[in-house]
Amino acid sequence: MAITQQREFLSQIPPFDHLEKALLNKLADSMDVVYLPHKTLIKFEGPVTENSLYLLIKGKVAEIQDDEVTYRYSVRGFFGDTDILGEGNRLAHYEVQEEAIAYKLPAKLFLQAFEQNHDFAHFFNSSIVEKLNRIHEAVQSATSTEVMMDTVCSAPLQPYVALDKESTLHHAAQLMVERRTDACIVEFKDAEIGIVTSTDILKLLAKNEPELASLRLDELANRPVQTVHEFDYLFNALLKMTRFQIDRLVVRGDQGYRGFLHQKDLMSLFANQSGLVLLKVEQAQSVADLVVLGEQIDGLIANLNRKGIKTHYIAKLVNELHRKMISKLVDFLLPEHLTDKVCIFVMGSEGRSEQVIRTDQDNALIYADDLTESELRELEAFATSFIAALQEMGFPPCPGDIMLSNSDWRMNKTTFMEKVAGWFKNPSDENFMHAAILFDAETVFGQGSWLNQLKQTLQHEKERYSNFLRLFAVSVLRFKTPIGFFGGLVADSESGHEVIDIKKGGIFSIVHGVRCYALESGIEKTNTHWRIKALMDAGVFDKEFGIELGETLNFLNTLRLESMLHQLADGIEVPDNKIRLSELSHMQQDLLKQSFTVVDDFKKRISHHFALDGLL
Amino acid sequence: MLAYIKAWLKGSKVNKLKRQLKDPYYQYLFDVEPGVFVCFDCETTGLDRKKDRIITLSAIKIVNNEVQTSQSLNLVIQQPEDISAESIAIHQIRNLDVENSESLYTDEFEAIKVFLEFIRGATLVGYHLEFDIAMVDRVIKPRLGMGLPNPQIEVSGMYYEYAMQKYKRSCIEPNIDLSFDTILKNTQIPNFGQHDAFSDALMTSLIFLKLQQSISR
Repeated sequence: MAITQQREFLSQIPPFDHLEKALLNKLADSMDVVYLPHKTLIKFEGPVTENSLYLLIKGKVAEIQDDEVTYRYSVRGFFGDTDILGEGNRLAHYEVQEEAIAYKLPAKLFLQAFEQNHDFAHFFNSSIVEKLNRIHEAVQSATSTEVMMDTVCSAPLQPYVALDKESTLHHAAQLMVERRTDACIVEFKDAEIGIVTSTDILKLLAKNEPELASLRLDELANRPVQTVHEFDYLFNALLKMTRFQIDRLVVRGDQGYRGFLHQKDLMSLFANQSGLVLLKVEQAQSVADLVVLGEQIDGLIANLNRKGIKTHYIAKLVNELHRKMISKLVDFLLPEHLTDKVCIFVMGSEGRSEQVIRTDQDNALIYADDLTESELRELEAFATSFIAALQEMGFPPCPGDIMLSNSDWRMNKTTFMEKVAGWFKNPSDENFMHAAILFDAETVFGQGSWLNQLKQTLQHEKERYSNFLRLFAVSVLRFKTPIGFFGGLVADSESGHEVIDIKKGGIFSIVHGVRCYALESGIEKTNTHWRIKALMDAGVFDKEFGIELGETLNFLNTLRLESMLHQLADGIEVPDNKIRLSELSHMQQDLLKQSFTVVDDFKKRISHHFALDGLL
Repeated sequence: MLAYIKAWLKGSKVNKLKRQLKDPYYQYLFDVEPGVFVCFDCETTGLDRKKDRIITLSAIKIVNNEVQTSQSLNLVIQQPEDISAESIAIHQIRNLDVENSESLYTDEFEAIKVFLEFIRGATLVGYHLEFDIAMVDRVIKPRLGMGLPNPQIEVSGMYYEYAMQKYKRSCIEPNIDLSFDTILKNTQIPNFGQHDAFSDALMTSLIFLKLQQSISR
């Protein structure tokens, strides 16, 4: 019977899901269905107890205050709570923007629930941050937690075994057998450590080394040793292992070392795709393998996002995978005699490790000054096939043609240096943009030091042209933050939907603003979150502001990611940066508004700091 | 003139019914309540108006733009024993109404009396309303001497009028599909799930509200 439907409907809407069954049923059974034609006005007048809470079954309703839309509600959204609870003298009214059908819950019963259930009441009283955390919790408890996001100390660790550097290999082997572990830490002075593993012993045996047992550990130990903090995420541990191509990490705690994390133990925890994708990149044999992986990564992203994992971490993981894929691709395509004569790097969002859905590519190549004609021809052929393969792997071509297949972005070292210096001599919007993306660049393959020299040129030229930073920073203000005078969201209308370009509206300003500060302070990190952290450490941002800025960026990026995943699911190949307001919950709209306020504050700070007034 | 004749015909029909009414207690059915609509739907043992019986009846009042689901009437009528338990299960009458013993009736006239109290002088609304009314009339005619005298609105008729608006100036004779699902889809009313008397009455109410709005505009 449909009465059960009303109960079911209500039980799925937080915070009503917190109500005990009897009360929930009582509320559900008291609901009427109301038909609200387009443009219907709803006002909360008269005694509170005669009003109702509206829960939308269908359609869209806008909350309007002083002629400005302050909220939008759609399916499963509800409104009237603030009016019933009488928070301040609100002058808001509601207008139906798309023919709607709603359940009406009498205020009397809503208030009864409010009085009887503490959790329920708390939901309406608590701050936004608390509400958000509860959503996060709900998402996470709904699905089993992703192993990748567990901490290192939750994995099986091998016991920690250590000897000082004067000990013999025999001693080490004895200890390893006794403690059932396959590695031994060698302690040098000043807390420096090295490591000897069973593999090392095996290799020595194979070489038939004389006097094996009496060899001293300080001659054998591998250094430096890669470590991971016990409270770090497991996926970070896996990333480290693949990055350094090692089988184990030393786990450190706040007070000394805890043990070893072995790759085989780690892999046994990943029964799902997320860990496997990482290893598959390593195992890929051909371009076709990489293409298949590209598709799997998209699935992984959707999965991680659904599990409520912060976009910043998803981005970190995905970009690590992307870079591995790109460097594998270079392995496949680049003639071997050229491998140490090039430096291939990614720029912009890829350089910052902030591109999650592949929407763009910016890459370039530096080659040695002394290449022969035939080598140059080989390189050109490589460039063409490389970009073609990337496209197949799902990286759309760069609309501005900033790709190494373009000879403007494939140059020898000297010419590249001159090119960068040229940007400063002839400042233009385009050249500023080039400087910006180069500043975010990171090497994917080859001679990383060449890119560093290029970046040093950037820093150096910046010093020479004292006005540069000021002009560079101006574009932070290029787009207006989409927030109105009364704090409502300002949306564009696009084929019947109200949309906001979230990149122009907020993400760009934060990323570029942080980039300006980083360039000014000579910070080499490229990821915006790491830059913010570095700026906090350097005392440029106070801690509170830095955290707020980082969280804001995270939230905006999450909305963008969700919108893009939606678009991909709808069959759009290259998704855009627009988010539809009607698809956001009440809470998300609330947070979006707060986020834009943070963006606006940051813009003011930048304006002041770089003296931008009068430049626009 | 035509309108006058229509009104007179209607009046004389009502008068005729009034004369037929055996029990003056039910006089209230003639006191038309303007602006009050009752949408109702029955689940029956079959489609034979003479032999088949009502198993469940749901009625919902509509006032202004509100469908008063909180005060809906959901009647379940116990069937003569020879009707199998399986058949009852098919009609989904187990849970709520059996729990709620108030709405389980052993005598069908007792059940319909509650329905009459509920509708009073309201205008009746339904989809293929004529059938549901015939099912009710079968029960009340022997006792009251008449069928339901209330004004009636057939939503499929409203829908026909609504759909025809598009063809006002056209000379083609459109073929309009009057099936419930099509009407539901074209009026963009959400499907509330399984077809039981209550859901159907609710959806029909919403179709009625929507069409009333669209046609008056």
